[in-house]
Amino acid sequence: MAISTDEIKALARLAKLEFDDERCETFKEEFNEIIEFAGKINGAIVGNSSDIREIVGEETQYAELREDEERESLPPEKITSGAEAQNGYFTVRRVVK
Amino acid sequence: MKYELVSGFETHVELATSTKIFCGCTTAFGGAPNTHCCPVCTGQPGALPVLNKKVVDFAVRAGLALHCKINTVTHLDRKNYCYPDLPKAYQISQYDKPLCEGGYVELPGGKKIGITRIHIEEDAGKLVHERGFTFIDYNRGGVPLIEIVSEPDISSPTEAREYVEQLRQIMRYIGVSDCKMQEGSMRCDVNVSVRPEGSTALGTRTEIKNMNSLNFIERAMEYEFARQVDVLKDGGEIEQATLRFDEKTGETYVMRTKEDAQDYRYFPEPDIFDIIIPDEVVAREKEALPELPLEKTTRYINVLGISPSVAALITKHRKVADYFEKAVKAGAAASRAANFIVGVVYSTLSTEEEKDELSIKVSPEELAELVRLTESGAVNVTVAQSALSKMLASGLPLSEYIAAEDMKGVDDGELERICAEAVKNNPRAVADFKAGKEKAISALYGYVKRATQGKADIKKADAVIKRLI
Ligand SMILES: [Zn+2]
Repeated sequence: MAISTDEIKALARLAKLEFDDERCETFKEEFNEIIEFAGKINGAIVGNSSDIREIVGEETQYAELREDEERESLPPEKITSGAEAQNGYFTVRRVVK
Repeated sequence: MKYELVSGFETHVELATSTKIFCGCTTAFGGAPNTHCCPVCTGQPGALPVLNKKVVDFAVRAGLALHCKINTVTHLDRKNYCYPDLPKAYQISQYDKPLCEGGYVELPGGKKIGITRIHIEEDAGKLVHERGFTFIDYNRGGVPLIEIVSEPDISSPTEAREYVEQLRQIMRYIGVSDCKMQEGSMRCDVNVSVRPEGSTALGTRTEIKNMNSLNFIERAMEYEFARQVDVLKDGGEIEQATLRFDEKTGETYVMRTKEDAQDYRYFPEPDIFDIIIPDEVVAREKEALPELPLEKTTRYINVLGISPSVAALITKHRKVADYFEKAVKAGAAASRAANFIVGVVYSTLSTEEEKDELSIKVSPEELAELVRLTESGAVNVTVAQSALSKMLASGLPLSEYIAAEDMKGVDDGELERICAEAVKNNPRAVADFKAGKEKAISALYGYVKRATQGKADIKKADAVIKRLI
């Protein structure tokens, strides 16, 4: 399975990356190599389902679900420790005008 | 050409669980920023979501209350979009196999609004945009939601209001949400399109996002309907778009058009396998469903003989309906009890929230006693109503406000004597009444009321007077 230039452009837009046409072409080649490598997994799949859940064949029984019981949250300073934060809020550059 | 409105709703309802959908953090409203958070609900690498059982219970219950089919094998999907209100850059939701499908909501007039589906998903965090920053609080992130998607069956702003009100009442009755629109625990995306009257084709629609007030929903729909009709009448075309309603100007504005419509790239959530819900769980939830507001209203009207308007006012609030039914069970005449609640109790509760809460100082049994005394003629209606207001204000028992002799009312001999006096002293009214002016008799009622300080049972007095003249 090969990826097209248009698909690369769509992905770049979704990932908020800017590619010029030249970069797009080199990226396409590299990306196709990765896809080819990942495609090896197809050889390991038994049957003809494309649904990962059918392949894995696992289920979650109702009885295994979590009871609605409260557990302690993390201290807020720990929650924000790996990110930019002010007064307990995570902060990013303003996303709306 | 005349046009008609076609509208469908997507309603988000926050579920009243104690903890979030995939972790044990509290769902309490508010709190200092990011204090209700853990590695799961902030999307830290390696953290695994575990579905809250109560979310399934509540969603199944909501589906049953809206007459849906329950998919007992269901799964979750990732909806990808990149915005800071989602720490993982995806929302765990449901795409092609929602928990509930194909139901309806009945409006008071009997019209049914189809329900396409109900699915479960996680709420996003809250953003505050200030100065050059966006401030993010993930306390609400991961709070469980159900999204109720209707068919485009709504054809006027009034129907939209009825639909949302019914949905809200039902969700509150079955205890799955408090549906506080102001706090955002119930919010609607409103789809609007128009078509020539009588046509069955669907026009291009626009979607007004995130409405959380019934008045604004009505106004936004009216505005958008008129705008679309104007565009078509000018020979233009409607552009598919997502809109925002400006509460100040009363107009809708384009947030994004179809051009930049998001590609959510849904795919099955790999961290949670297919969920298998046993039939017993569905049966248990079905069994536990209470009588729903519209069924209750119909029963009050048909079985208890209460007027439709009063019945609707009582069933609007589940606690009031429960209170009323307890009073009836304690022996109160239904119609009188209902009128006392709507006329007297409601006058002390100014807001809808206060009616919802119904924390009042008179027990249903006390109300029943007062109704019984009124019905038997021992206490007249005016006295009973004033006693009830005083009891509601003070919390003191009935005996504080209705003296023992008042409770006895006026004895028959005394009533006979006063009625005779009334006839004697009002010859003109008696003559008029005899000449066919039925209303003239009210002068005699007035006399009896004054002479007994309102204690006489007028129904009884009426019989006595008519016998005497
Ligand atoms: Zn959490």
